Amino acid sequence: MRRSLYHAVLWLVALIWFAPVAWIILSAFKTREDILATPPKLLFTPTLQNFRDLFTTNASFVVQFANSVVLSLVSVVIAVAISFLAAYAFSRFKPKGTDFLMFLLLSVRMLPGPAVILPIYLMYAAFGWKDNHVALVLFYAMFSVPFSVWILKGFLDGVSIRYDETGRVNGGSWFHVIFRVVLPQVKPGLIAAFIFNLIFVWNEFLFNFVIGGVQTQNIPYALAVGTYSDGGLNWTFIATMTTIYILPPILAIYAFQKYLLVGMTFGTVRGEV
Amino acid sequence: MADVVFEGVSRRYGSKVALDGVSLTAPDRRFTVLCGPPGSGKSVLLRMLVGLETPDEGRILIGGQDVTDTPPAQRPVGYVPQSFALYPHLTVRQNIGYPLKLAGAPAPRIAEQVGRVAELLSIQHLLDKTPDLLSGGEKQRVAVARGLSREARVFVLDDPLVGLDYKLRERLMGDLKLLAAELGATFLYAASDPLETLTMAQELAVLERGRVVRKGPVEQVYAEPGNEAAMRLVGFPRANLLPGRWQGGAVEAGPFRFPVAGRGEGQEVLVGLRPEDAGAPGRGVTAQGTVTLVEDLGAELVVYLDCGGQPLTVIRLAEEGAPGLGQPLAFGVSPSDLLVFDRRTGDALGRGAA
Repeated sequence: MRRSLYHAVLWLVALIWFAPVAWIILSAFKTREDILATPPKLLFTPTLQNFRDLFTTNASFVVQFANSVVLSLVSVVIAVAISFLAAYAFSRFKPKGTDFLMFLLLSVRMLPGPAVILPIYLMYAAFGWKDNHVALVLFYAMFSVPFSVWILKGFLDGVSIRYDETGRVNGGSWFHVIFRVVLPQVKPGLIAAFIFNLIFVWNEFLFNFVIGGVQTQNIPYALAVGTYSDGGLNWTFIATMTTIYILPPILAIYAFQKYLLVGMTFGTVRGEV
Repeated sequence: MADVVFEGVSRRYGSKVALDGVSLTAPDRRFTVLCGPPGSGKSVLLRMLVGLETPDEGRILIGGQDVTDTPPAQRPVGYVPQSFALYPHLTVRQNIGYPLKLAGAPAPRIAEQVGRVAELLSIQHLLDKTPDLLSGGEKQRVAVARGLSREARVFVLDDPLVGLDYKLRERLMGDLKLLAAELGATFLYAASDPLETLTMAQELAVLERGRVVRKGPVEQVYAEPGNEAAMRLVGFPRANLLPGRWQGGAVEAGPFRFPVAGRGEGQEVLVGLRPEDAGAPGRGVTAQGTVTLVEDLGAELVVYLDCGGQPLTVIRLAEEGAPGLGQPLAFGVSPSDLLVFDRRTGDALGRGAA
């Protein structure tokens, strides 16, 4: 009895939180009139016209979607690779001032984006890096490194250095020890770092808007710009684009949610993974 | 020939001296045990032999060849670390074959060798499991198997049985001894437990604070500790060490007073007595104490006594009957079993004279 009540409350809370998402997804299949109808229509004839419009009349959508995918995947893969090696060095060789360096690393993320947007804009403008995929990947990778190093160092500290030694004693090179002995043991950490940063870059708007350009527009940018493009609030556009936009992260999170949890604890709580 | 020689090996960590000019030979095909309290430097010494640490000073030779600067992989040494460090992402079979695979051995060769070591340690039935499914003792066997799978002339085991329960340790100790005899290689083994030390050792080196205080065949070290630390660390139950004073050709310590041979007149001394050397009253030096605790080991009883404030341990045979708690118990000691050490330096000064 208590248990089912508890479950009912959980369902209720989950549904309340899910309501806006549900509204957006439902709206993607409604006509403009249906979306704006009062009282809101729960029963309606679904249509795919909005999706057709998005792909035909809005030519830049495919490019923007591709930009989102490429920018986030490439930069996060680079960031996680760099972070793994950095975290390995911090964890194993414990250079002088490791704690301070770790703090310094994270301090990049202590500033809100708008606080650094101006200097970064000036820098990118001076280098001629505006509207350049490589330059944006560089920025996103830089922004993804701190969290990744923190998450991965927690995991690496949990892997006994005896493993490294056993590898070395038996004739393993450093490459072998790092990638064949240690890496398989921190897979959950790698996945957690990957997902965390993927979500961050996927949702990033400000820097894409300011230091990106026509070539590098991502979906958050397209949403912000396209909302008023036909004079009023373009609800069908917003709903349809958002629906497509939230699909990849939802799938990624659903597939890897257990790693997300261990990531939030920086590897200190291993859990059942 | 694969005798292992340490020549004046020193190692400092900052201001802490871990090893202070250690010279030691582990003879070919013998089982050498390094014993000493935690932090005495036995692990560091073994890690140097394996190649995980480099000495600040001194040389290490295996079979006459200087390996001081040889990378770990190129030393003919098999290693069983203190913690199991089994790779969780590999099966037991892959774990055991790992050193061979790294060395580039062909697959059939690996399979054959893995089968052989697995049989030696009777773990054939575990080969396809992953380490997380094994019990502590099984993990230990697998770790030993991995250490032995490499074709090495020297095997290094760093306190491999620490943390295992008593029964398991006893069984593995026996297995390891048999294995060592079978493989005919040189073994170096660090132990922190006195019973393990006595059971395993052919040769013994006693370390304390980064120095070798006594080395030699185990029987010899047991009979002639030559040093207070060696007396304390070698032997089970632990030897009694009583503070006393050497005056007028005799030593007075706890309940004992006996004439001594040797030079130590006027010194503060420690008198060492092994519990197993205390016998029935009437021979040599006789003393008496009150029984505070009796441990029944089956054939023997370990009796803890209070001799006028001085605790003392003696062993009695079970057939002599268990003394009651709080009862007085008299015992006799042959004077030559009372060893006298300098209280300051720990060096042997002499022993009781008949």
